[in-house]
Amino acid sequence: MEFDLNKLKKRASYPFETVAVGLAFSPEMEQLLAEAKKITDACGSKLILIHVGEKTKEKEKSLEDILFRINIEEKKVKLIWADGDVVDSLLKLCKLNIVDLLILGALEKENILKFYLGSIARTVSRRAKCSVLLVTQKKPSQKSKQKVIVNAGADHPKTIHSVNAALYFAKNLGINEVTMVHEVHVPALAMAMAESSSAPEVTKIKKEYSEEESNKLHSLIAKCNTGSVKINEKVIKGKPGYAIRQYAETKKADLLVINSPDTHLTFLDRIFTHDIEFILADLPCNLLIVHSRV
Amino acid sequence: MLKFSHNDLFSLLITVGVMLIIARLFAEIGKKFKLPVVMGEIIAGMILGPTVLGTVNPEVFSFLFPKESGAKIALDGITSISVIMLLFVAGLEVQLQLVLKQGKTAIYTSVTSMLIPFVLGFSAVWFIPQWFDYETNHRLVYALFFGTAMAISAIPVIAKILLDLNMYKTRVGQIIMAAAIFDDLTGWLMFSLILSMLGKEGEITNIWYTVVMILFFGLFMLFIGKKIIDRALPWIQTKLSWPGGVLSISLGLCFLSAAFTERIGLHAILGAFIMGIAFGDSAHLHEKAREIIHQFITNIFAPLFFVTLGLKVNFIQNFDFTLVTIVLFLAVICKLLGASLGAYLGGLPKRESLAVGFGMNARGAMEIILGTLALDAGLIDEKMFVALVIMALVTSLMSGPLMKKMMT
Repeated sequence: MEFDLNKLKKRASYPFETVAVGLAFSPEMEQLLAEAKKITDACGSKLILIHVGEKTKEKEKSLEDILFRINIEEKKVKLIWADGDVVDSLLKLCKLNIVDLLILGALEKENILKFYLGSIARTVSRRAKCSVLLVTQKKPSQKSKQKVIVNAGADHPKTIHSVNAALYFAKNLGINEVTMVHEVHVPALAMAMAESSSAPEVTKIKKEYSEEESNKLHSLIAKCNTGSVKINEKVIKGKPGYAIRQYAETKKADLLVINSPDTHLTFLDRIFTHDIEFILADLPCNLLIVHSRV
Repeated sequence: MLKFSHNDLFSLLITVGVMLIIARLFAEIGKKFKLPVVMGEIIAGMILGPTVLGTVNPEVFSFLFPKESGAKIALDGITSISVIMLLFVAGLEVQLQLVLKQGKTAIYTSVTSMLIPFVLGFSAVWFIPQWFDYETNHRLVYALFFGTAMAISAIPVIAKILLDLNMYKTRVGQIIMAAAIFDDLTGWLMFSLILSMLGKEGEITNIWYTVVMILFFGLFMLFIGKKIIDRALPWIQTKLSWPGGVLSISLGLCFLSAAFTERIGLHAILGAFIMGIAFGDSAHLHEKAREIIHQFITNIFAPLFFVTLGLKVNFIQNFDFTLVTIVLFLAVICKLLGASLGAYLGGLPKRESLAVGFGMNARGAMEIILGTLALDAGLIDEKMFVALVIMALVTSLMSGPLMKKMMT
């Protein structure tokens, strides 16, 4: 199987023209497909269903029944049955089919061993060259207003693409309010200020940092295509990844949107947890990882 | 049996009170001239110690610091506890994920800024022994120590310089911090190994036993201890009194860990340092808790520790111009070369690479702690100690202006 990498390079992170769903035939598959239908209907996307594993009559029947129940026309869906390593096959098929968004089901929390060794959904999230939506087992929210939180780390070049992708997603799904969160973490600042800064100096430094970060966030949002979506701005302090995870959990968010990882994440990144690994360790809600391909 | 008498208590209280106030006074005067706080504290020690007070008025000096008394033993205990706590707060800021996050440039800078000074420092002792004065049977340990002394950095002073220059959040600032964290970690592990190799009576003990124990303890804390602390911290911070709960539990565990490493033949500082890493690494540790721990230790125990340095040594009698020049020259060249080369190979432009080199060159309080422990262990003499203290202060003073020059 050959694929043209040039088609993927610099491809915009949105619109989601092609959406794929990784099927594991778990009890949550119906919920996952219902979420996929909602997104593809809203974004006008082409839907691809991928299962890496043995093709059996039972699986075919089960899928047919679910598709019927949630009103997906089977002939409008591209169904791929593949063999081999699940992660590698999924990633390869996504590249081949120029998938813009891959939807996968994920446990909110893996057991320690599985987390360190890497579960399928989390490994794909770390390595995918397209955006990934991890759908947790939480029951879909019945609230009229969906809470969407976007990690708007204003210092990162990828963020503008992620924010715009989040806004595109929100607009298409009829979500009219999004919270943009900018995390601030200055390591060893407490140590730097401890010995020789007076109380007014400490207050001044903290205030300046806070204002500087708020301005950054504000400038970032000014550059985005917000349209009619109401934007809330929030600057939070704490370790990147961890702070926004906690914030999303506290605010009972329905969706958290973040940048894709910058580097190839390894076992070490799970030992010395940082950024996305804090979120993958314990998903606070559904997670959209935007791959901006820049 | 030596009893801690009423007079000893009186003497100890006077001593500690005077030390804290004089240290603060000189730290504040130094601050007016943009000097590091540690410099003011050491000057306070020199004034209170044999260098000035002991020479000018020996009676007052003997009254404040009686030689054979319970107060002296108690003060020694306080300074030992101080150094353990200083290593604990140093560990609190070791966040290895910063090194991973900053990528190639930080990794190159970290490794070369550690390796090149270490190798050059080690080689200087090994191949030019006439420059140094040490016991011949301690040649390997001395060379390892000097290499480590050349390689170590000082996160507190570097962080303060970056803050003053408003470079904290710049790319150069982040790389310097990441590399300083790596150098501190490897430097203190190395130094613990050296101290453990020296053994209790100054004899060289089995190096493999020490290496295995350090690895065992380090890995245990990294994989299990860190997880337990991470799980317990939210409970500690919400269910126990604030901030008393987190303060007592963190320092309690610091002392227990220090006691454990001391007991198994490693130095107590290693236990404190690693416990600091385990606490500091937890994302659950509130920033406010971190601030309180820093404030508590930096403003009470650090001054006591640095003032006692001035009490230990006569800085004028033990000032050896040649040795000071050699140590200073080697320290600056080694660190500048190592850190700048790593930053340059990692992709930074020339001037920014040099700025990284000058930033990493600041040794500050960490070098002085290293020197003090080596002096107490009998590994180095007073002359080398004075040379290391001067090197630490000079490199800390030159770091900021030279970095600024490179960045403008």
